[in-house]
Amino acid sequence: MERFIDLSLSAIMLAGLYATMAYGLGLIYGVLRVVNLAHGGVIMAGAYLGWVLFERWGIDPYLALPLVIVASFGLGILMYRLLVRHLPRGPAGGPASLLLLFGTWLVLRNVAYLLFTGNDQSIRTSYSTASVPFLGTYVSVNRLAVLGVAVILPILLQLLLKKTYTGRAIRAVAQNADSCTLVGVDVERIYALTFGIGTALAGVAGLLSATIFSFNPGFGSGELLKSFVVVVLGGLGSILGVGLAAFILAVVEVFAILVLPSYLTSAVGFVMLVLVLVLRPGGLFGHRVLG
Amino acid sequence: MSAATPALVPLRVAAGFVVGVALLAVAPWILDFTPYSHNLVTLAFLLISGAVAWNWMGGFLGQVSFGHAALFGMGGFVSARLLLSGPVPAPLAWLVGGLVAGVFSLGAHPALRLRGPYFSIATIGLGESVRLIFTYWEDFTGGSSGLSLPIDPDMKHQLYWWGLGLAAIVVGMSWLMRHSTFGLQLLAIKADVDAAGDVGVSATFYQDLVFVLSGAVVGVSGGLYASYFSFIEPNDMFGFDRSIAFVLMTVIGGVGTILGPVLGAIVFVLLRQYLLASYPDLYLGLYGTLLIFIILFEPLGLAGLLGRLARLARSWRAPAAEGGTP
Repeated sequence: MERFIDLSLSAIMLAGLYATMAYGLGLIYGVLRVVNLAHGGVIMAGAYLGWVLFERWGIDPYLALPLVIVASFGLGILMYRLLVRHLPRGPAGGPASLLLLFGTWLVLRNVAYLLFTGNDQSIRTSYSTASVPFLGTYVSVNRLAVLGVAVILPILLQLLLKKTYTGRAIRAVAQNADSCTLVGVDVERIYALTFGIGTALAGVAGLLSATIFSFNPGFGSGELLKSFVVVVLGGLGSILGVGLAAFILAVVEVFAILVLPSYLTSAVGFVMLVLVLVLRPGGLFGHRVLG
Repeated sequence: MSAATPALVPLRVAAGFVVGVALLAVAPWILDFTPYSHNLVTLAFLLISGAVAWNWMGGFLGQVSFGHAALFGMGGFVSARLLLSGPVPAPLAWLVGGLVAGVFSLGAHPALRLRGPYFSIATIGLGESVRLIFTYWEDFTGGSSGLSLPIDPDMKHQLYWWGLGLAAIVVGMSWLMRHSTFGLQLLAIKADVDAAGDVGVSATFYQDLVFVLSGAVVGVSGGLYASYFSFIEPNDMFGFDRSIAFVLMTVIGGVGTILGPVLGAIVFVLLRQYLLASYPDLYLGLYGTLLIFIILFEPLGLAGLLGRLARLARSWRAPAAEGGTP
């Protein structure tokens, strides 16, 4: 029973991280219809940025959040303006966008390797090992903080999408970009902004993961896969769906530890992806565009 | 697609192909290859076969796979295991390796029926899962220390022609695919699965067929690779870098063209040998930059570039001829 509570708690906290990773991928796909294969690379970049800020200047990872958000937002805008903008739209552009963003990912990985070598790194703060008692077991303070960020972020995102003019424009572009041009929405600007918000979320996810896991330049391919599982499972664009889907993935992964050898747990996400795509291609909660 | 109708192979194409293969076949005697260049050319043949087979899926069918290393490794390890297990003739072992890889890609049928980005991301996961399973399956693959095959200089020498034969067959198949109803059906599926279904092209059947063919060829080339280098190791054979290599060779040469993957594989081998040996730290970034530039500026790669040059030469000659007749 104690083990069960333990595993459930870690599943909940893992779910927060997965949801943060997935929002970015889902938002970009929902609006631009482009799967950002460089997503894993941005997550890795966010982790390294947090690590540099912490190691060199002693900035606490949670205080570094705004910096990482701004930096990865800028990276996203840059990626959109320099690369993604030039792709053909629609289904014909599919393979091209995959290859282009895949290339971007490789470049990001190489840059990280040149700057920081291939060694494993992690952010170890003074409270990394601290924990508080809860329901008869102990919960890591850091993981609670990660969960907190993961709960606040989607609320902010939801507010942005629902209450602001820009947010309404993003949702409108997701539904029909051509009509938006007709009523005077600058679609290019919305695309760039959306791409930036998506990568900013990826950067945050990277920073948060860096406080929990160790990482190297290859970090992010598993994260890309998991984000994709969550997005597909949750149905594209529904924020509540993404949260629930992240929870399901986390539960399955955490409890798989009980029955599977540890090296196979990373294959769990993949098996789920295939099952979901084959059994419920529209996601568990149906298709909705940014609702 | 103007050249889709003729049923017979045009004489010029057939003749050029036969002469080219014949020249390559006698090249080791005429040019008196050093072991180094023998190595390089044989490796190029194996990679050409793999790239052409990747192109059937990525180019003709429009399904970009980031997991072909799984098939390559499987072919390599199955044939190596067979060769180690007893007096099995090597060609049989390679063929079995290819068959296993082909059957495996059919077994992954549910995943491979996905389309577009879903398919591509599933192949990343599939490739990683297969790599993990084979790395930890030490009884079969020897784990991270790999498998060593007895070194046989005769066999190594002969593998040049085996590799050439495989590459020639595969390029010929590419040509036939491109110039037959089968190729048109693949193009229809690539353009629009639903519309293809409406006009009676069974997307499921043809996709499965292409997957088996592609998997089998990549598997056989993995088997030849294992025999040639006499040492294989799961993290190299199944590695992500290898999957990327198949993508890259085809994209450099020209996705969806016949000669593109051939050119791409040659460029890839040369790049690796002469450039990356000096800058091993830069190879991922260089591959990535190449991908970005090709997709942005010449989506058909070298084949597209050659086509452009040919058109340029023609338009340059045409006005000149006009000027000659007052």
